Amino acid sequence: MSLGLHSFLFRATSLMFVATIAVTACTSTTPPGASTAPSAAAGPVSGGTVTIPIGADPTLNPWSPNAFVESLFINRAIFEGLTKPGKDLAPAPDLAESWTTASDGLSWTFKLRSGVKWSDGKPFSADDVAFTFNDIVLKPDLGAQNRASYAAVKSVTVVDPTTVRFDLTRKFAALPSFLAYNAGILPKHVLSADPLKTTSFNKGIPVSTGPFKVEKYTSGQSVSLVPNEHYFGPKPYLDKVVFTVVADPNTQIAQALSGDLQIMILDNKAAVERVKAASGLVVVSRPLVQYYWLSLNQTDNRFTDVRVRQAFVHAIDRQAIIKSVELGYGSIANSPITPALAAYYDPSLASKYPYDPAKATELLKAAGWTPGANGVLQKDGKPFQFTMDVGQRGVLEPVNALIQQDLKKVGVIVDLNTMEWNSYIQKDVVRREYTATVNWWTYPSDPDVFPYYHSSAAGKGFNIPGYQDPKLDDLLVQGQSASDLESRKAVYKQLQQYTSEVLPYLFLWYPQEIDVLSSSLKGVPELGLRDAMHYLGEWWLAKK
Amino acid sequence: MTRLGYAALATLAAIALLAVAGPLVWTIAPEATNPAQGLLGPSAAHPLGTDELGRDVLSRLLHGSRVTLVVGIAAMLAALLLGVIVGALAGFNGGWVDALLMRFTDGMLAVPAFFFVLVVITVLDKGISTLVFVIGALSWMPVARVVYGETLRWKTAEFVVAATSLGVPGPRLLMRHILPQAIPSLVVSATLGVAFAILTESALSYLGFGVQAPLPSLGNMLQRAQVYVFTAPALAIYPGIAITAVVLAFNFLGDGLRDALDPRRRR
Amino acid sequence: MIVFASALTFFFVNLAPGGPGSVMRFDVDAQQREALIKRMGLDRPVEQRYAEWVGGAVRGDLGTSLLTDEPVSQRVGERLPNTLTLAGAALVLSIALGIPIGLIQALRRGSPLDHILSLLSAIGLSVPVFWLGIVLILLFAVSLRVLPSAGVTAIATDTPFDRLRHLVLPAVVLASTVLPTVVRFMRSAAIEVLHEDYIRTAAAKGLAPRVVLLRHVLRNALIPVVSAIGALVPRLLGGTVVTEAVFSWPGLGRLALEAAQGRDYPLITGLTVVVAAIAVTTSLLVDLAYTRIDPRIRIA
Repeated sequence: MSLGLHSFLFRATSLMFVATIAVTACTSTTPPGASTAPSAAAGPVSGGTVTIPIGADPTLNPWSPNAFVESLFINRAIFEGLTKPGKDLAPAPDLAESWTTASDGLSWTFKLRSGVKWSDGKPFSADDVAFTFNDIVLKPDLGAQNRASYAAVKSVTVVDPTTVRFDLTRKFAALPSFLAYNAGILPKHVLSADPLKTTSFNKGIPVSTGPFKVEKYTSGQSVSLVPNEHYFGPKPYLDKVVFTVVADPNTQIAQALSGDLQIMILDNKAAVERVKAASGLVVVSRPLVQYYWLSLNQTDNRFTDVRVRQAFVHAIDRQAIIKSVELGYGSIANSPITPALAAYYDPSLASKYPYDPAKATELLKAAGWTPGANGVLQKDGKPFQFTMDVGQRGVLEPVNALIQQDLKKVGVIVDLNTMEWNSYIQKDVVRREYTATVNWWTYPSDPDVFPYYHSSAAGKGFNIPGYQDPKLDDLLVQGQSASDLESRKAVYKQLQQYTSEVLPYLFLWYPQEIDVLSSSLKGVPELGLRDAMHYLGEWWLAKK
Repeated sequence: MTRLGYAALATLAAIALLAVAGPLVWTIAPEATNPAQGLLGPSAAHPLGTDELGRDVLSRLLHGSRVTLVVGIAAMLAALLLGVIVGALAGFNGGWVDALLMRFTDGMLAVPAFFFVLVVITVLDKGISTLVFVIGALSWMPVARVVYGETLRWKTAEFVVAATSLGVPGPRLLMRHILPQAIPSLVVSATLGVAFAILTESALSYLGFGVQAPLPSLGNMLQRAQVYVFTAPALAIYPGIAITAVVLAFNFLGDGLRDALDPRRRR
Repeated sequence: MIVFASALTFFFVNLAPGGPGSVMRFDVDAQQREALIKRMGLDRPVEQRYAEWVGGAVRGDLGTSLLTDEPVSQRVGERLPNTLTLAGAALVLSIALGIPIGLIQALRRGSPLDHILSLLSAIGLSVPVFWLGIVLILLFAVSLRVLPSAGVTAIATDTPFDRLRHLVLPAVVLASTVLPTVVRFMRSAAIEVLHEDYIRTAAAKGLAPRVVLLRHVLRNALIPVVSAIGALVPRLLGGTVVTEAVFSWPGLGRLALEAAQGRDYPLITGLTVVVAAIAVTTSLLVDLAYTRIDPRIRIA
C-alpha cells in the first residue's frame, strides 16, 4: 500500500514536471502571430497607433529631478530643445535654426525658428528659452536635473524675439551637443509660478512644442499622445502613440511576442534569439554613447600604480563578458570615447590590453606583488584582497561575478558586497566610501568628458576614482576650448591615447542597444530608441 | 502518523542528506564561472547543465538548498522563540500582561506583514541574519497563539495546581511542567513554519531583497533564471521544483504530525 | 494599532540608508543633491518631520509624495480600487471554489478524489507565487494568446469585458495563495459536522440528503470557515505585492515596492496606514459576520 502511495506521489510530481516542460516547449515554438508581409508600396501612409512600453509613471518635465529612466522617452518626444541629435549624432537644428560662437569662445548665439507655437496655441519666443535656463536650470536651489552640465553657462540673454545668447564663464565647445540631450524648453506663460512641481503639468497634460502632445495620462497604466495641431513642422503620420506602463521586462517581451507593442528596447538581451524567431518582429542593434568601467578608488595606494591597473585589465576576459552578458552586442572599450561618436573615435586602440593572465601576473610582479599562500598575491605580508560593491541593477551582478572569478585566477581575492541600488548610491557615490566598483557612464553625443575625468571633479564630483593628473586636465580643457572640428578631433585623439595608457577608470566595454520592432513599423531612424524619439513625427505604420 | 506523513519525513531526510552531504561529494564550486560554457544542456560533466555564467546548476542547486534550508530552519526557530515567549508570558500571567500581549499579537496578525517587510528590509543590511530576523518577525504570531492556548489550558490542570501548592516557583513551573505539554503543537507549528519561511525567502529573493548573490539560494536562483525564461526555461524549473518539493514535504509532514498528535484522536 | 504602525514605519524608513530616488542617482552632483534635500525638507530632524506628518494625517492629509510631488492620498487613492478589485476577485474565487471543493472532499473522505484534491491543494500552497504567474503568462498569453499578460485593461478599448479578461490571470494566481487553506478548513469543518449527532438524527428523520446537506452541514461548517477566511485577508493583501509585480497590475502592492526602493518616506507611511486600516476594517467586518452566522453566539 505504501508503495502505491509512493508511486502515486511520484507520478503526480512527474506529471507536474512534464506539464511545466510542455508549457515551456510550447512557448519555444513560434506563436501564431499575425504575420505581416511588408507592404509593396514604398511611401509612408498615415494612420495607426504605436504602443511603447515604459517601466513606471513618467514625470513630464525634462528638468524635474524625478524625470529619469522612463520619463526620458516621452519628454524627448514632446519637448523640443534648441538642438536635437542628428542622424549622425552631431547636433541638428530643432527650435534653433543655426548657431555660432563668438571669436573669444565665451558665448554662443542661437537663431531661433519663427512661427513656432505651443500646444495651447500661444506663441513661442526667446523669452521661453531665457526662462528655462535663467529661472530653472541655473537656479541652484531648485535642484534641476542636469544642472551640472551647464556649469559653464553664466546666463542666457534675449537679443531679440528670435535670438538668444548663452554667456559663458569659460570656453564650452560642446554646448550645442549638450542642448540636444534632455534639454527641452519649457513654457514661461504656464510654469513661471512653480517650474518644477506643477503636477497638473508634470503628471497631467503639459504644454509643449513637439509634433505630438499629451492627450491623456492614466496613472499606473498609460500616457497617450496625439498630433499637436499647432506644430510648426509637417503633420506626423501616426494617429496616436501610447506609452504603456509595464514594469516587468519579461512581460514586455511577452507583449511584444503577442503583438501588443510595436517597439521596445530589449533590456533582457538573453531573450534575443527567442524574439528573432518570432514572426512579425524585427530585431536591430543600435549604437549607444555609453561605456562600462571598473573604478579603483585612487585613495587606496594599492591602486595608484598604473601597472596594477593595467594588470587588472589584462586579467579580465572582457570579450567573454560581452559574449555572455551582452550576448555579443558590444565591443571592448579602451577609452571613454565610444564608437558611436564616429567623428572622434580612434579605432586603433580597440585591440589594446588583450586577455592575458600571464601578462597580468608579470605586471603585478613588477609592482611588487608575489604569490603567497594558496597562490594569493601578497606584498609586505598583506594579501591582495578587497571588497567590490555591486549595485543591483541591469547586468552588474553577473558582470561582477565574472570579474571576481577572473581576478581570482591571477591571485587577487575579491569579495562581493551586493547592495540595493539606493543604498549603493548612498555609499559609493554620495559618501564615496568604496574600494572598487563597476558601473557605467552615459553622456551626450560629444567627446567632452571633462566632468568625469578632471581633478576638480574628484571627491564630490563625477570623477569617481578620484584620479588626478595635470596632463589629463590639460587635454580636457583644450578639448573644451577648441572651436573647430579638426582641432577638436586632434585633441580628443590624444586624450584617447593618453587615457588608455594611464587608465583612470578601467575601461570595460561599449554596449549596444537591441531594439525590437514590429515589422510594420517604418521610418524609425537608426539611432538608440531614446534618440529616435526626436523623430516620432516621421514614424509610420505599413498597412497589413 | 499517516503513511503520507512518513513519506514526507523520508523525503525530507533525503533532501537534508543531499543538502548536507551533496556538496561534499559533488565538489564543483557553485560560484566557479566559465562564460564560454554558458547555458549548456545536461552533460556528463554537468548533469543539470550550466547557468548563464557557466556555473554548474547541480552544484548551485545543492548549495542553494543548503542555504534555503538553513534560512528556513533558523527563521522558524526565531519565530518559535519569539512566539513561545510572548504566548507563555501572556497565558501564564494573565491580567494586563495577557491583554497587552495578545492584543499586540492580534494586531500584528491583522496587518499585512509583507508591507512592513519591504520597509524594514531596506533599513537593515542585506544578509542571512537580517533575512532570518525578518521572516521570524513575520511568523511568530500563530506560534504565540498556540502557546497561549496551551498555557491557558494546562495552567489549571491538576498536576500544575499540585506543583504550585508544593511551592514550585512560577518560571520553573512554566518551563518544566506547562510548556512541555505544548511540544506536540509546537512541532506541528515548526514544520509548517519552515514551509512558510522557505516560500517567503523565495518571494523576497524575487523582489531582490533575499539572499544576495553570489551566494546561491533556491529563491535567488529563480530570480536570476527569470531573465532566461525565454531561452533556458530549465534554469527556472529546477529551483522551482526544488522549492515546491521541499515545501510540500514540510506541509505533509506537518499535517501528518498534526493528525498523529491530535488529542482527540488519542481518545 | 494604526498609530503604532505608522510611527514604527516612519522611523524605520528614515533609518534606511540612502534617500529619495531622485536624489540617489549616479548623475546627480553634490550641489544638486543638497538643493533637493533642502527642498524636500529632509534636513530637519526625524521627530519634527513625524510630528508634522501626524498633524497632517489627523486632518486627512497624508503628506506629499517625494517622488512625484502629488499628495499621498491621491496616489494611494488612484491605486486602491485596483488592489481591492484584485483582492476581492481572488477572495470571491477562493470562496466560490474552496467551499464546494472542501465539502466534496469531506463527503468523499478517504477516496482517491479526496487524495488527489488534497495533493493539488498542497501543491498550490507550495508553489512560489511568482513562478506560477510567469508559467501562466507563458501559457495563456504567449503560447495560446487567449489572455493578456499585463495591466488592468486594454489600451485602445476599455470595456468591462476587457477588464474582466485582464483580471483572470492575476486573480487566479493571487487566489492560489489562500484557496488551498480555505479548502482545508472547509474540509475539516465539514468532516466534524458530518460526525455530529444531529446530522445523523436529521438523516434518520428521513430528510432528503440534499436538504440535510445544505441546511445543516453547510451552515454549521461555515462558522469556523468564516473566521478562518477573515484571518486570511491579511495574507491575501500581502500577496498582492508579488502578484502585482508579475502582472504589472497598478495597485498598492506595486506602489509599496516603488516607494520602498525610492525611499519616498511620506508615501510609505501613508500606505502602511491605509493598508493597516483596510486589514483592521476587514477583520471587524468578519467578526460581525461571524456573530450573524453563529447562532450560539447570538443566543449568548
